[in-house]
Amino acid sequence: MENTPRKEYDVIIIGGGATGAGTARDCALRGLKTILAERLDFTAGATGRNHGLLHSGARYAHTDPESASECIKENIILKRIARHCVEETGGLFVTLPEDDLNYQDAFVNDCFKAGIHVDVLDPKEAVKIEPAVNPDIIGAVKVPDGSIDPFRLTTANVLDARMHGADIITYHEVIGFEKSGNSITGVRLRNHHNGEETVIHGKVTINAAGIWGHHIAKLAGVNINMYPAKGALLIFGHRVNNMVVNRCRKPGDADILVPADTISIIGTTSTRIPFDEIDHMEVTPEEVDLLLREGEKLSPALAYTRVLRAYAGVRPLVADDSDPTGRSISRGIVCLDHAKRDGLEGFITITGGKLITYRLMAEEATNLACKKLNIDKPCETAEIPLPGSEPDSKDEERRAHIIELSTEQKAAEGRHGSWTGKIESRSDSDDALVCECEQVSVAEVNYAINELHVHNLINLRRRTRLGMGTCQGELCACRGAGLLDKHDNCSDRSLKDLASFMEERWHGMYPVCWGETLCEVQFTSWLYQGVIGLGDSHL
Amino acid sequence: MRFDNIIIGGGLSGLIAAVVSQRAGKKTAIISAGQSALHFWSGSFEFLGNIDGNMVIDHPLMEAERLPDSHPYKKIGIPHTAELLSKVAPLLQEAGIKVKGSLERNHYRLTPMGFLKPAWLTLDEYFMADHPSQIEGKKYAIVNIAGYIDFYPNFLRNGLDKHGASCTISAIDIPQLAPLRKSTTEMRATNMSRFLRNDAVDSLAKEINMASRGADEAIVPAVLGMFSDEPVRRLRNQIDRPVNFIATTPASVPGVRCQLSLRDYFIRLGGTFIPGDTVKKGVFDGQRLKRVYTVNFGDMPIEADNFVICTGSFFGHGLIANIDRIYEPIFGLDLNDTGDRTKWYDKDFFSPQPYMGIGVTTDSEFRPSLNGHTIENLYATGALLAGFNALKEGSGAGITLATALHAASKICS
Amino acid sequence: MDLQQQNISDNNFESCIKCTICTVYCPVTAVNPDYPGPKQAGPDGERYRLKRPFFYDEALKYCLNCKRCEVACPNNVKIGDIIQAARIKYSSHKPSLRDTMLANTDFMGSMATAMAPIVNFTLGLKPVKLILDKVMKIDDHRTFPKYSSEKFETWFRKEAAEKQEGYARKVSYFHGCYVNYNFPQLGKDLVKVLNALGIGVRLLDGEKCCGVAKIANRCIDEATRDGRQNLKAIREAVERGDDVVATSSTCCFTLRDEYPHLLKLDNHDVRDHIELATRLIYRLIDNGDVKIVFRNDYHKRVAYHVPCHMEKLGWTIYSTSLLKMIPGLEFIHLDSHCCGIAGTYGFKKENYEYSQGIGEPLFRQIKESGCDFVACDCETCKWQIEMSAGVSVLNPVSVLADAIDVEKTMLANSSPS
Repeated sequence: MENTPRKEYDVIIIGGGATGAGTARDCALRGLKTILAERLDFTAGATGRNHGLLHSGARYAHTDPESASECIKENIILKRIARHCVEETGGLFVTLPEDDLNYQDAFVNDCFKAGIHVDVLDPKEAVKIEPAVNPDIIGAVKVPDGSIDPFRLTTANVLDARMHGADIITYHEVIGFEKSGNSITGVRLRNHHNGEETVIHGKVTINAAGIWGHHIAKLAGVNINMYPAKGALLIFGHRVNNMVVNRCRKPGDADILVPADTISIIGTTSTRIPFDEIDHMEVTPEEVDLLLREGEKLSPALAYTRVLRAYAGVRPLVADDSDPTGRSISRGIVCLDHAKRDGLEGFITITGGKLITYRLMAEEATNLACKKLNIDKPCETAEIPLPGSEPDSKDEERRAHIIELSTEQKAAEGRHGSWTGKIESRSDSDDALVCECEQVSVAEVNYAINELHVHNLINLRRRTRLGMGTCQGELCACRGAGLLDKHDNCSDRSLKDLASFMEERWHGMYPVCWGETLCEVQFTSWLYQGVIGLGDSHL
Repeated sequence: MRFDNIIIGGGLSGLIAAVVSQRAGKKTAIISAGQSALHFWSGSFEFLGNIDGNMVIDHPLMEAERLPDSHPYKKIGIPHTAELLSKVAPLLQEAGIKVKGSLERNHYRLTPMGFLKPAWLTLDEYFMADHPSQIEGKKYAIVNIAGYIDFYPNFLRNGLDKHGASCTISAIDIPQLAPLRKSTTEMRATNMSRFLRNDAVDSLAKEINMASRGADEAIVPAVLGMFSDEPVRRLRNQIDRPVNFIATTPASVPGVRCQLSLRDYFIRLGGTFIPGDTVKKGVFDGQRLKRVYTVNFGDMPIEADNFVICTGSFFGHGLIANIDRIYEPIFGLDLNDTGDRTKWYDKDFFSPQPYMGIGVTTDSEFRPSLNGHTIENLYATGALLAGFNALKEGSGAGITLATALHAASKICS
Repeated sequence: MDLQQQNISDNNFESCIKCTICTVYCPVTAVNPDYPGPKQAGPDGERYRLKRPFFYDEALKYCLNCKRCEVACPNNVKIGDIIQAARIKYSSHKPSLRDTMLANTDFMGSMATAMAPIVNFTLGLKPVKLILDKVMKIDDHRTFPKYSSEKFETWFRKEAAEKQEGYARKVSYFHGCYVNYNFPQLGKDLVKVLNALGIGVRLLDGEKCCGVAKIANRCIDEATRDGRQNLKAIREAVERGDDVVATSSTCCFTLRDEYPHLLKLDNHDVRDHIELATRLIYRLIDNGDVKIVFRNDYHKRVAYHVPCHMEKLGWTIYSTSLLKMIPGLEFIHLDSHCCGIAGTYGFKKENYEYSQGIGEPLFRQIKESGCDFVACDCETCKWQIEMSAGVSVLNPVSVLADAIDVEKTMLANSSPS
């Protein structure tokens, strides 16, 4: 599925997050010869480590009106082009007794100015439509927030880019640039799987590597003042709330609770961290305590709900080029033309922004690339639905029979949208569940392995949710490893992969290792280390 | 209601203590809150498989002398531990469970992922090797049931190949399993075992014979004989070469059989097994536990002369961890926990995890204490105890059984 | 606010650590591949249903509500409750006429008792059974329990009520539909035994069906209405100092546990006052409050079957201990195994085959046991075992009533102790 890269491209995109994938899609749709190179896996950076919030923009209405209006526009576009990645849950901004109710008036006013449609609710009414919300709230505003699955969104962009001729390679890290005079002409890549190095050439290179873009820019010989800001979040075992619940105050810690697929996420914190931590982030006990303490204020049920795991992402904060001190941070999208800025031709950096504005970021970066390449083709990504979200003539029919589908078929529909039909079940055995918590069948696993750039269990998890459920891989990781091994036929590598997967799951569990999570991990350890005999020698 | 001895916890530890107590003529009851960890049994019991990170094969008893003095084996004394554990195989045999192996020397079991691990006792029908060289040059036919995903032929082949064996892999099907295949979740080992009886075993034998033609031995998943080993014997009788079973991932068919066999043996001996009930609290008279109250018995307490607590660790809910403390939920027994949750874990999944060593602290006779005062007629056993990492040592079953037998000898004297 | 208390969310489905033990003990999974099994139907499915109700799977109707999954669960997850609550909350199928008929044991009972000989005769007729089978989808293999021509309540008021006032200590009896309409003898047996022990029996004021059949057939409004009435009657009894006893393990279980869990009826103030008659009798004997003397010419070989709800109540030991007290009784403990009927479940044509498949090991063990009869605290197990194993079934209270030496017992309890 992954082609050996050709040697010449119009555009090289560095980074397989939503922005990189979105840019690859946009470039490919505009007919550019495109390649995307990702160091690890899609969504391995900030894309896969945030709230998954489909912002209405309300969160920024007061502090950053420009971002707010970007958000609401993209919000409406994504509901159309990424239907299968989006859930239109609606959201609430609630005022707690300890908060200032005056803020709500200003907030409503600002939303109105930004073009965000909001309704002020009687707090009692809010508790009725979202029973998980703290019943003591003194104010509530309904906003068009939703949730968006960053894994699905990125995969869909990758699939569409591929369908339009782009090459996509994962586990290829940029280790250097090819230059000719003051022009970037290509990148040197190292294949993480076999260590081989290759060079590919491109007329334009787009740096869409998030916080890692800081390092990429350095390799290219330019400097971007970036600061990593860590945001920690907690995942709860099931959907506590069915609407996004925000705290109606100036943005602060742990003030958003998002229902995301089968779970709920509370976040986030914000801490500047040094660059050497961005690949090894840990959620501290203090962050866990803070998230719980503040989270329980939004929804008291969190005090009694199992915490599945903790994780942290890094926001790339970019210093405003207009401020020579580097202290003031750019808000919103940062699209840097390094030719103008630094005199370096053929190099663009797209950064800042948010998950929800990924498409707009891609559009801006692609516009700039097209300008450099003298191509005059308009952006269509706001109109053409993503693979899986196409309007489907069979929609009516599907809705009619969906009641007869099994739970895992319904779950797969949720994950792959109109592309679910590509999951091929040839026998009863293919319908068997691999991941019982998240309802992932053998057929879905095989589809992901064959079509969705899956090299290991972590990739598989991001494409299907395998191992993301209550047991965090206890029941399914070894099954998944068995199926991957059938494709790979290299058992030593599969076993090593299994060990790394368990390690990766544990990394998110130890910060919340009490209660049922501790029971679960003890059981998992007995099974994997005791019964099965997996050990650190396999890592 | 009165008994001589009450055993709290119906897992391996509790069942063994109860069987010995009942057999000694003591009126004994087990109060069991849900089923036990035996349901995930690998098919082998370990005494000591690792010390200081090295695999133990020869002289496990001698190696055990190197354990710290606080270790349960050392508290009992290694010779006495050996004496107690020598009773296990005959006792299991009486309950209808046939095992092989000895304390003098560990043998190797083959894990579901194809690794050789040291073991003390292994279920008779399971794969075992005294030495890896026994595998060299052998031809194994690894036979799975088609579509069964809790058994890993590739990994087994990978493991056996490393020791110089050559393996074939095949997947067989029999019509008797067709109804089960319709279910997307329930083609589990334990459910298959319900279908694999009588003529289904004969069909299976035919297929295994075909699939293992030319091999020295056949290797099959342990999916037979949940309620008795009759289907296992029936299958073995019809296969024209040795056939060895390998553990599947849970639930374990032989594990359920072991649990039920011991329970039924206890009941046959006249013991009282109280399933699905949880002891809530105890009433003390000075340093003696007089009676316990359970959820189901409500206001009617159960009295006894002696009590044994075998409720396990976190998995068995013998220990409960809240965000700020770990506690023993029935009596609030003294533990070796500091209440600092960052001290409970190591960040590396495969490193020894400190939580494994947290448990109930006891005197030299394994009697726990409450606020520093030893309870004279309460004994703690198995995974509930503090001070060892059974997973890293490969000592879980050995400690469970030795402390249970030790407690049993105390409550019967 | 507290940080992370022990997980006590509704039905605590999150305590499930996916160990799969429940699937080992589910009697339905073993025979019906259309049933997703307790893990999938319970905690796993619940996460999805909370995400969106459309994930509800109608195959949950195959759950027997035997609660054996709950007894087996090492993490105390209320798996059976989760499944039954989901059926109540999400199922879009309306109960059919048949289900409503089967559910309304009390209404059907009061109609039938009035015309008992005709009804019994008619329900026994082949053409009628065929119509029930084909039209109503009630399996024609089933034998309907016979209706009595005189309700227990009627007998009690005529024959027993007055005498009861003479006893210093009294209990109130929740007799249930079965005793009232089908088998008043069991109620009479209870009166006989308790009176011999020096205890008077009263009836509750306006007892309704406990609701177990209505819950199973999702007639929830009716079940809740009846439940409220029952709790009112029970509260009145408790206020006048009576404990409430039942002879049916299922009625008892429903009043104590299904009311709060499935009907959301708060019974915490009276729950501990509701118990099985055998538990009361055992306690009185064990405490030395009463003495019981048995006939010395009683000789029976008796196999005890543990009904599912008895297993869940955890009170098997009281019934079996009483039986074991009878000197001439040779006691056989049958393996605790579901008989497959599960109230009205086994009456439905679509379940008949599964029902019999589930019970098959039990029937075999009973036939092989060579017992004179089976003792069992549940009336629906009684129908199933009598039909399928061909051995008669008696409630332990009836066994006591047969084995007790009434005069000597009365004498023993009348002398100051």
